[in-house]
Amino acid sequence: MATLEHSVPRTAGGLLEWFTSVDHKKIGILYLSSALVFFVLSGILALVMRSELAQPGLQLVDRQTYAQLFTMHGTGMMFFFGTPMVIGLANYFVPLHIGAPDVAFPRLNAFAFWLTLAGAVMAFAGFLTATGAAAFGWTAYAPLSGDAYSPGTGADLWIIGVALSGVAGVLAAVNLLATIFGMRAPGMSMLRMSIFNWNIVVTSILIAFSFPALTVALALLWADRNLGSSFFEPAGGGDPVLYQHLFWFFGHPEVYILILPFFGIVTEIIPVFSRKPVFGYKGFVFATLLIGAYSFSVWAHHMFTTGAVDGPFFSATSMLIAVPTGIKFFNWIGTMWGGKIRFQTPMLFCAGFLFMFLMGGITGVFLASPPLDYFVHDTYYVVAHLHYVLFGGSVFAMFAGLYYWIPKMSGRMLSEGLGKLHFVLLLVGMNAAFFPMHQLGIDGMQRRIPDYPASFGYAQENLVSTAGAFLIALAVLVFFINLFVSLRRGPLAGDDPWGGYTLEWATTSPPPHHNFHRLPPIRSARPVFDERRENAQAGPEGGSP
Amino acid sequence: MTRLVRPISCMALLVMVGASACVPQAPSVQGRAVNQLYGIFAVIASIIFVVTAALIALSMLRYRAKPSDDALPAQFEGNVKLELIWFAIPTVIVVVLFILTLQKLDVVTERAPDPESIIEVDAYQWGWSFTYRGEGVNISGGPHNDPELVVPIDRAVAFEISAEDVQHSFYLPRLLIKRDAIPGRTNRVDVEIDEPGRYIGKCAEFCGLLHAEMNFVVRAVPPLEYRAWLNERKQDDGNA
Repeated sequence: MATLEHSVPRTAGGLLEWFTSVDHKKIGILYLSSALVFFVLSGILALVMRSELAQPGLQLVDRQTYAQLFTMHGTGMMFFFGTPMVIGLANYFVPLHIGAPDVAFPRLNAFAFWLTLAGAVMAFAGFLTATGAAAFGWTAYAPLSGDAYSPGTGADLWIIGVALSGVAGVLAAVNLLATIFGMRAPGMSMLRMSIFNWNIVVTSILIAFSFPALTVALALLWADRNLGSSFFEPAGGGDPVLYQHLFWFFGHPEVYILILPFFGIVTEIIPVFSRKPVFGYKGFVFATLLIGAYSFSVWAHHMFTTGAVDGPFFSATSMLIAVPTGIKFFNWIGTMWGGKIRFQTPMLFCAGFLFMFLMGGITGVFLASPPLDYFVHDTYYVVAHLHYVLFGGSVFAMFAGLYYWIPKMSGRMLSEGLGKLHFVLLLVGMNAAFFPMHQLGIDGMQRRIPDYPASFGYAQENLVSTAGAFLIALAVLVFFINLFVSLRRGPLAGDDPWGGYTLEWATTSPPPHHNFHRLPPIRSARPVFDERRENAQAGPEGGSP
Repeated sequence: MTRLVRPISCMALLVMVGASACVPQAPSVQGRAVNQLYGIFAVIASIIFVVTAALIALSMLRYRAKPSDDALPAQFEGNVKLELIWFAIPTVIVVVLFILTLQKLDVVTERAPDPESIIEVDAYQWGWSFTYRGEGVNISGGPHNDPELVVPIDRAVAFEISAEDVQHSFYLPRLLIKRDAIPGRTNRVDVEIDEPGRYIGKCAEFCGLLHAEMNFVVRAVPPLEYRAWLNERKQDDGNA
């Protein structure tokens, strides 16, 4: 208990410090805060959409506004919430997990964050222009996104904003790779790294190699719009399908960028709360590498209906991804098997993740089969699938990670009661919102429509889905109440509130400026566990020296 | 463990029935192939879902910590043999699903050597133009004036799909098919409907303001009636 005086949260040294800091922890918190702001903003856009769809007829918004809503909902969630959330968590915890004082390039780190935020603000600033924000979907398919069909400043702001955040993503990824390969503490071999770090290695490689394809697609699109080129205009010899190839060569790895780190988080939390080591460490690493490799060869399964891609090849590679994903599932089960599982909030969210992601993963295999994809592509079936993966998967795992790590970042525990309430509301809300969408898609409801005739029989499922969306909003509200109350009045966390394994639990909460006053010896993937056990065997006192 | 086999298999059966029943039977040769494939996928997916979910639930319920028990559980770190087994099982399942996919892919993409009619589909913002090749018949229309084309039952009809401006997608929900309409490219889809009726068509790829209103109707009639309709249309169009 000698470290108690360090665990009292310190107030920030003035607002200016947040703008000028190059400390990876401060930048990590900036990333997380900005990501959560865009999570809420994009979520509000979704609530307006769900309200419009609750019953047949156009009640709330006109068609043009609706198109802006779904475009910016997807854009905000993918580029300004999902990716920054991943980079933010990596920023904060990668150096701590490998026993390093900071990232390899702290100034580049700060630059990447401010560039991301600038891009996000720019894209959303479209709402302030006379013609509104971009309105061609987050995928911005050409030629619809060209100047002839989408005139207006909002579209150009979108292109530049997304491109900036993409470049920032590459900078952050290179920084994380340099940190992990170059700054591990003595004894921290690659095969003693946390599984979270392994997932960040693969995620960073995916970002570094896939985001440039997005930058190219956006640069060419911008040239088509503003310089009169015709890369994607058939009239000038261009090809709309080329845009889709470039976009999805980025877009599918992006899905793994948004899920692998969360696999990593779940793989950190389940062992700690089961009080066992991870089952099949090398299997996890192998499966992660395999998913990363496969993810570059599956992009055209988003394009089966174009009739311009090799269906069997992309079907085979897409289905094969189910194999390493399956390995992970069974290794998670193996980790819990024989354990003594404590169902505190982080573990509850992991449980939610396992069931929801299982559902999303399985419908993904349907979509990998071209005959079935011809049937459900671009319908609500796909919307259901992607939300089970990215909401049921990534967002549940994100909340698990936040409940697990906010005590480390703030020094104070979040409320268990509110956390459980948050979990139950989110689980019920998510299934009410997204499960009926499978049936809507099967019954022929296309994506991206503001309205449907009553005669199509979609009203009931849509009403349930809208009710679910508002339950999700309520759940998120409970989370923010929990966050604000606990940051002020939560009980002190101490260094290691969960009985953790990895190095972040060997330092104070929050960690000091250079992270560690001393490091425990690193002889396995669980250095903090090892030291705790040795101390317990050495004497009844235990505790850190 | 063995006493759980019955409830789990009952559950799997229930999910299976639910998952297969939600897809309507398509009244076409190609659609039925999709129905069959979806049915097989649904059965296998239901088994995987229920077994995996049951294992997750079982491990959570069985190994939850008891309040007073503070001792560390056994610290085992893996089992290579087990991991190889659960590497092999999904691989086998995926290979089976892939082979089934290939078979049905041939059915849904097969081109009839001699289709009864070739209909050129031209999508635009926001409507459809259908031209019966060699017949001099064109049907077109947009929102609030949905075009209605007529096709014969029990005969293959080929649709050659393209677009004038932005990308659209030719989608017949009840027939379980869809193919993109892309400017500068042509996609062909053959359909053989076997039940007379009116089938609603939609645009599935977001194409701007009136995307949701870009509907059309395919009316399937017996071959003789189709010929009669075609001749009548030819005269109408010729007189116009």
